[in-house]
Amino acid sequence: MNLTGPNQSAATVRAVVRRGNPIVSMRGVTKRFGSVAALRGVDLDLFGGECLGLIGDNAAGKSTLTKILAGAYVPDEGSIILDGEPVRFAVPADARAQHIEMVYQDLSLCDTIDIPGNMFLGREPTRALMLDRAAMAQETRRMLDELGIRIPDLTLTVAQLSGGQRQSIAIARAAAFEPKVLIMDEPTSALAVVEVDAVLSLINRVKAKGVAVILITHRLQDLFRVCDRIAVMYEGIKVAERAIADTGLEELVQLIVGEAHTS
Amino acid sequence: MTIAYSDRPRFSPNIDRLARNAHVLSIAGFFLLCCVVFTLSSDVFLTSGNLLNVLRQSAPLMMVAIAMTFVITSGGIDLSIGSMIALINAVTAIALHNGAPWPLVVGGALMIGASLGLAQGWFIAFQKIPSFIVTLAGLSILRGVALLFTEGFSVPISNNASFAVIGRGDFFGVPVPALLAMMTMIAGYVILDRMKFGRHVTAVGVNPEAARRAGIPVRLVTMSVYGMTGLTSAAAGIIIASRLSSGSSNAAVGFELDVIAAVVLGGTVLVGGRGTIIGTVLGALTIAIIGNGLILVHISAFFTQIVTGTIILSAIWLNSKVFSQMAVRYRGRSKTL
Repeated sequence: MNLTGPNQSAATVRAVVRRGNPIVSMRGVTKRFGSVAALRGVDLDLFGGECLGLIGDNAAGKSTLTKILAGAYVPDEGSIILDGEPVRFAVPADARAQHIEMVYQDLSLCDTIDIPGNMFLGREPTRALMLDRAAMAQETRRMLDELGIRIPDLTLTVAQLSGGQRQSIAIARAAAFEPKVLIMDEPTSALAVVEVDAVLSLINRVKAKGVAVILITHRLQDLFRVCDRIAVMYEGIKVAERAIADTGLEELVQLIVGEAHTS
Repeated sequence: MTIAYSDRPRFSPNIDRLARNAHVLSIAGFFLLCCVVFTLSSDVFLTSGNLLNVLRQSAPLMMVAIAMTFVITSGGIDLSIGSMIALINAVTAIALHNGAPWPLVVGGALMIGASLGLAQGWFIAFQKIPSFIVTLAGLSILRGVALLFTEGFSVPISNNASFAVIGRGDFFGVPVPALLAMMTMIAGYVILDRMKFGRHVTAVGVNPEAARRAGIPVRLVTMSVYGMTGLTSAAAGIIIASRLSSGSSNAAVGFELDVIAAVVLGGTVLVGGRGTIIGTVLGALTIAIIGNGLILVHISAFFTQIVTGTIILSAIWLNSKVFSQMAVRYRGRSKTL
């Protein structure tokens, strides 16, 4: 694979240096839902400081693959190796404990709970057995500020927020707790143009901290702004992997619809 | 880089807070209205003797309704509580009738109630059987067992002064059952509103998959809330046995409906995700004073159920239609201006 193209960024160079030591290696991952083979043996490597764009048509298996990495699904076959150690995630909490965080496509928010409550869902700080609401509010404010997300009233429940604000909360929650691997499944679908820019610059910032990022998106033009590598899924198989410098929009579209590899 | 949300002019955030608490406020208003009406129409209603009596009699309802708030908030329902009360009521009386020491009987009865509740919770949480089905089966089985034990007879509890204190005693003028209900209320409020467990119950009720992904032990949380209704139903069964000095398999028939009515009247959402202990307490008190007040104003006792049902329907209708629409209108206006 040629990574020495003229457009390489600093991040790409780092990815080349780290090539030998992936943070995560998924090998031979399969998953069936009843009679549907969602994944038919997928291998995938993730490297620190690198953003992998995961693309493919609907039902290609992108979300299933990432949900397996996040522990939300248990694979039928295959292995996950994290920092050289084989791991098994029976529940999402196992993956979270290993600092694998995910922004789910459905956002996974609790509508009737306030913003800090959603940020700290499942890891609420307590003081003398009580929820430490002051600390949650203060930390939430800091986390949102850090990501440039401006929501004046933190006591609002998530149901009272706009689509873009809700998505921002889901992204902030995943990015805020020192992830080692950050998976984002369509994180920008409800966002306005400026907000998309903010998310992309967030991805570049967490990459710089050495985090391995997976970005699933239908906005192919975004891939070229943050990704170092693209993996293409087609009907449950990874059909192609390209360094970003070696590919273009046209080729990616062909790979997605299956023209390049089925003929 | 800052995300620039376009600023909408906002009305005072108090409007949002008002909207969120509209249900509790409306039940509080309705409760006060009932109090005023009965005070005006009966000389006896607003006497401390009568009010303390209402508190004593409504204590079992209140205690179970507080636990039921957790069940409903978690997105479930428990129909077995009336039968659970009858079973514990009967078992307690039989054990005392046969000379068992009362502290042992009380402890054992509470344990049985909690365990039976957890057993139902296990079927619901770990075997994925809908709570409606599991507790409907429980409703039938538990009262059946009570009938089997008592053979349909009422079992008297004689000459047990210390046990009688639980249901009939006073502590500084306050009925002991009312004190127990108050303790349950404080515990319920703290657990649901201030503690991690209550937060997780709410999360499970509003979005169980999000809760699971966030690492919340969804099945354990779900199972526990049925342990809570089991425990408080047992306490209610003991209090009723003590107050009436007897145990019967026919105790608390239809009690589950009063409890569910109290919870929903209080503003807890029947599909889960939002619960309020203060609302439940007000709901239970409202149902209790309606029953009491109708007797005081000499309306036929047969009317009580009809009036209670009508009031519940109209109160909840007002709640869901009028007040929510008012809240939506307010919020809508603040957005478009």
